[in-house]
Amino acid sequence: MFAFIIRRLIATVLLLIVVSMITFAIFFLVPRLAGQNSYQLASQYVGRNPTRSAILQVEQRLGLNAPIYLQYGRFLRGIVVGAHFNSGTSTAYCPPPCFGYSFKNQQPVWPMMISDVPVTASLAAGAAILWLSGGVAIGVVSALRRGTLFDRFSMGVALAGVSLPIFFTGLISLALFSYKWPIFPNVQYVEITQNPLLWARNLVLPWITLAFLYAALYARLTRAGMLETMSEDYIRTARAKGLPERTVIVKHGLRAALTPIVTIFGMDLGLLLGGAVLTENTFGLHGLGQFTIQAIQQQDLPEILGVTMLAAFFIVVANLVVDILYAVVDPRVRH
Amino acid sequence: MKRRGTIGLAAVTAAAALILAACGSSSTKTSTSSGSFNSAVTGVVSPSTHKGGTLTFGNSSTPDSTDPGNTYYAFMWNFVRLYTMPLMTYKSCPGACGLQVVPDLATAPGVAGDHGLTWTYHIKPNVKFEDGTTVTSADVKYAVERTYDRTVLPNGPSYFPVLLTDPKYPGPFKNRSKNMMGLTAITTPDPTTIVFHLQHPFADFNYVAAIPQTAPVPPSKDTGTKYQLHPMSTGPYKFASYQLNKQITLVPNTNWNPATDPNAKQLASKVVVNLNMNANDIDNRLIHGDLTVDMPGTGVQAAARARILSSSSLKAQSDDPISGFLWFAYINTKVAPLNNVHCRMAIEYAANKTNLQTAYGGPFAGGAVASTVAPPNVLGYKKFDLYEATSKPGGDVAKAKSELTACGQPSGFTTGVAYRSDRPKEVSAAQALQAALAPAGIHVTLHGYPAGTYYSDFAGVPKYVHAHKLGILFGGWAADWPDGYGFFDEITNGNAIVPAGNTNISELNDPVVNKLLEQMAGTQNATARNAFTSKIDLQVMKDAVILPEVYAKSLLYRSPALSNVYVQTYYGMYNYAALGLK
Amino acid sequence: MTAPLEVSSEAATPEALLEGIRGAEIEGRSLGQIAWLRLRRDKVAMAGGVVIIVLILIAVLGPYLVQNPLIYHSNLINPTFSRPNGPFGGISAAHPFGVEPVTGRDMLARIVNGTRVSLLIAVLATTLAVGIGVVMGIIAGYFGGWVDAVIARSMDVFLAFPLLVFAIALVGVIPSSAFGFSGNSLRIGLLVFVIGFFAWPYMGRIIRGQTLSLREREFVDAARSLGARGPYILFRELLPNLVAPILVYSTLLIPTNILFEAALSYLAVGIIPPTPSWGGMLSDAVNNGYYSIDPMYMIIPGMAIFITVMAFNLFGDGLRDALDPRSSR
Repeated sequence: MFAFIIRRLIATVLLLIVVSMITFAIFFLVPRLAGQNSYQLASQYVGRNPTRSAILQVEQRLGLNAPIYLQYGRFLRGIVVGAHFNSGTSTAYCPPPCFGYSFKNQQPVWPMMISDVPVTASLAAGAAILWLSGGVAIGVVSALRRGTLFDRFSMGVALAGVSLPIFFTGLISLALFSYKWPIFPNVQYVEITQNPLLWARNLVLPWITLAFLYAALYARLTRAGMLETMSEDYIRTARAKGLPERTVIVKHGLRAALTPIVTIFGMDLGLLLGGAVLTENTFGLHGLGQFTIQAIQQQDLPEILGVTMLAAFFIVVANLVVDILYAVVDPRVRH
Repeated sequence: MKRRGTIGLAAVTAAAALILAACGSSSTKTSTSSGSFNSAVTGVVSPSTHKGGTLTFGNSSTPDSTDPGNTYYAFMWNFVRLYTMPLMTYKSCPGACGLQVVPDLATAPGVAGDHGLTWTYHIKPNVKFEDGTTVTSADVKYAVERTYDRTVLPNGPSYFPVLLTDPKYPGPFKNRSKNMMGLTAITTPDPTTIVFHLQHPFADFNYVAAIPQTAPVPPSKDTGTKYQLHPMSTGPYKFASYQLNKQITLVPNTNWNPATDPNAKQLASKVVVNLNMNANDIDNRLIHGDLTVDMPGTGVQAAARARILSSSSLKAQSDDPISGFLWFAYINTKVAPLNNVHCRMAIEYAANKTNLQTAYGGPFAGGAVASTVAPPNVLGYKKFDLYEATSKPGGDVAKAKSELTACGQPSGFTTGVAYRSDRPKEVSAAQALQAALAPAGIHVTLHGYPAGTYYSDFAGVPKYVHAHKLGILFGGWAADWPDGYGFFDEITNGNAIVPAGNTNISELNDPVVNKLLEQMAGTQNATARNAFTSKIDLQVMKDAVILPEVYAKSLLYRSPALSNVYVQTYYGMYNYAALGLK
Repeated sequence: MTAPLEVSSEAATPEALLEGIRGAEIEGRSLGQIAWLRLRRDKVAMAGGVVIIVLILIAVLGPYLVQNPLIYHSNLINPTFSRPNGPFGGISAAHPFGVEPVTGRDMLARIVNGTRVSLLIAVLATTLAVGIGVVMGIIAGYFGGWVDAVIARSMDVFLAFPLLVFAIALVGVIPSSAFGFSGNSLRIGLLVFVIGFFAWPYMGRIIRGQTLSLREREFVDAARSLGARGPYILFRELLPNLVAPILVYSTLLIPTNILFEAALSYLAVGIIPPTPSWGGMLSDAVNNGYYSIDPMYMIIPGMAIFITVMAFNLFGDGLRDALDPRSSR
């Protein structure tokens, strides 16, 4: 097990490097390919009132006319050691991990992102727990009560769930449960350290909105998986041995049906982040999703680059966690 | 005045406008417990001295800056009085009373001397910054001179460099040891006296002194672009925290002396500003009671408008003042082919004014269709209509096409349109204009930008405008002070074009207009001065550099939780410095 | 699966069977025909299929049959309330789906034009993703060894990219005209590229798994013993047997892409107005609060997305059930 973890850690670090290289390349190569020269690129980085000398300075400082591998090296170095940025009137220090410096806001990008991470993390984690437990539970019950009203109804709702856009369900829930019937009024993010109860209460609607879509998906998947598993021979054997039905279902059936779920969950983490972006927008939560949108509106390239890197890093690390959990559940994987 | 957005100048009557006298008893209407429709326009609703509670503001974008020397939005000129005291300010009272300019940091209105070439103010001796240090005239001088460096502070009008001697002063940031306090146009003979030296006499100088650029800034605490994160307060509140792009929190300033600042109040125990909210969300929360004020103050959006006007109880909690703004679009004269006046005139003819009016809320909540640049409340306004705005509000595609032929583009042309993407009414207006210009062959691409950086980074940066071929740029404007000069100077004077934070976005540099403005500035007699307004207006419209849309009205929702609510005519929105909670 | 035998459907009737006994050949049914029969019996899936065909027709022909979606009809709007005159969003003979608030544009025309945009992007992106995914999956599964390892790892890399964040970021980075395109054609190209280029691992993994199990089958050995080389085996023997999962998961990938484009238009980084798009209309209705003064403005595009996505899901489900002999309903 230990060896497995070490192997996965190394693979993760390699993956992080590759992902960051590709992200970096896309941000600096694609505009180049699209016909922008480094002066134009620099003018997108520099802050307000770009004078020609300020742009040239940024071009120099960021080394935008240097070969791309040098720029990438500088970027990596910034993450590990920090960097200095000449912002025109003064030199600013960007402490490690330095994901870039936003000239428009005169601030390093990392602290701005970090203050938004708890919001997105709360949203994503809560929703993930909800949809996994909810989706799996409904899927199992539907499989066991196959053909009954419960089965048809829940699968119907599930089908509807995967067919509706998140912002649609989000808005409906906001209009109904926040404005019309004030069950969850004034949805606004409150820090968990400040008031855990209010934190949870204000996040219930966003959680349900985000989880609804994926719970539906997972309910369908679990149901299909359970049905397949429960018709296997070894289930019959377990029953014939006289094991209680609950043990049969949970220990034998569910365990086998869960493994593809966990695999798919790892693949879906990217979707989770996307869903979080949409949910944040609908409910007005200031998380990484809103940060990205505002960065686009401001055309603030360092911020856009920073948040994309962070998002990709998050997915890679989360995948690592999922892999380790998977190895705990299914020993065969550890070889 | 404050342009774009929400400045409501609305000099309602000529008589009241230029009275600088200490206000006598202003006729405040008898106030009611929570008022009825439009009651805050003429009187104070729910007057009270009750202290406590939190004032929550909501903003669909961010302020252009919280630095009093770097902001040009009306709502900010209103809001900064919560934490700063400019030399002069507008009397805090409803109706025409609120157009009087009265001393704030100064003890009395300025005194002109030396044939009008100097203006002398004395500042109150016992005003302190939030850290206890006493405000001196040097702090006021420094506050003005730091605005000269537009690479650090791009926003704001440029009256001082134009009116005062020493226009080439580079500002105190470059070469600090040499340039700090180096503006020779302002002298401070003693710590409570400040003298402004002008190039030519300027009768309206007290109005210029009311601009927040005169709010004192201690040189030792000036961090340039970072000063906005914590400006040194001389008002009833001070900054407790500023999470960029997210939230601003103000708490009471214990070093504020109410006796020195009768125009502001310290009633609420906390002020919170939530930034980057969705505009419709703001309206919903306002009506629901989770927010108390919509900061931009330009009126509710379409959905809330429908809700408010169809419910008698909600309508009783709203006000629909004429805000004194003009909503319009600049037509840039440097982006080809709009450098030819006939191409610009084509746009004037083709635009569908009715659809533009609907975008802002129709005649009732949006305002009347405009055919002139100056709204009716600007002194010297005269009605005229060069492009059939009132006779053919649906637009005249045929005339537009003949203008296109005249400018050498018979099949039309393409250009870009800039607007503020977080303001739904402006988004609708931009789309309406796009649809109206298409049949004439003028095809435009839409480019939305956030309001907070619209002037500092995008539309107000001529280089950006040229590079991205933005020929039509939306905006709003109200006069900086009640007369035509205060309305026209910063948007039409060729000398007002600056590299960032520009408000002469058409980049108009018409010698006729420049001359008229110069003559107007030098005219001492008020009646003679007002005669220039319509002349300038006519010439600007002949140049077709502005497409007027509506003389704005704003449907404001008045939260029942507020006390001391009334519309400050100068800003065209509620007086933020007077608000309290019930 | 063994290699298919040729079959004619006449063999299904009793008369033909008798004929067969009398001496005509008895032919079995091909997999395709079995699947088709099973699919036909699934009413719900067939309904989905019919809806899909209707949608494709609307997307291709519709815009020529409806009015211009860009024309304002301000006479149909109440200017103070910005809402359409008349109930249900101004439904009338001239405007069967009503009109938009504020602008008065015809809703039917906008929905129909939006169909074209949504389906175009979804189909193109799916094609790209499937194309890359199938090729990579087959190569990885068949050759194994280090080829497999490299491809599998790169699949991990691509899966690590959060699609929505990336798409938003790329829209912000690309200038408004690039590669010779500008405006909406550039946007559409960008969306297709992002979705296709980053979503291929979903298909790739499935195909890789299928190939891994297929390559151990006898018919592959048989082909190899006959002298067939790699490419021949890959594309002539394996690929036909992968048609089923390719078809199924393509059909299931399309609705995801439709929702993705809707999400991007909703966030104002998708289709540029005034070109109609379902996501853009929903965004207008939701973000500008028009849903409270004209609910139809939200319901109609919402339903359009819902019905389209649902139809593809149902048909894809039915297809999967029909093609997979072991699947349980």
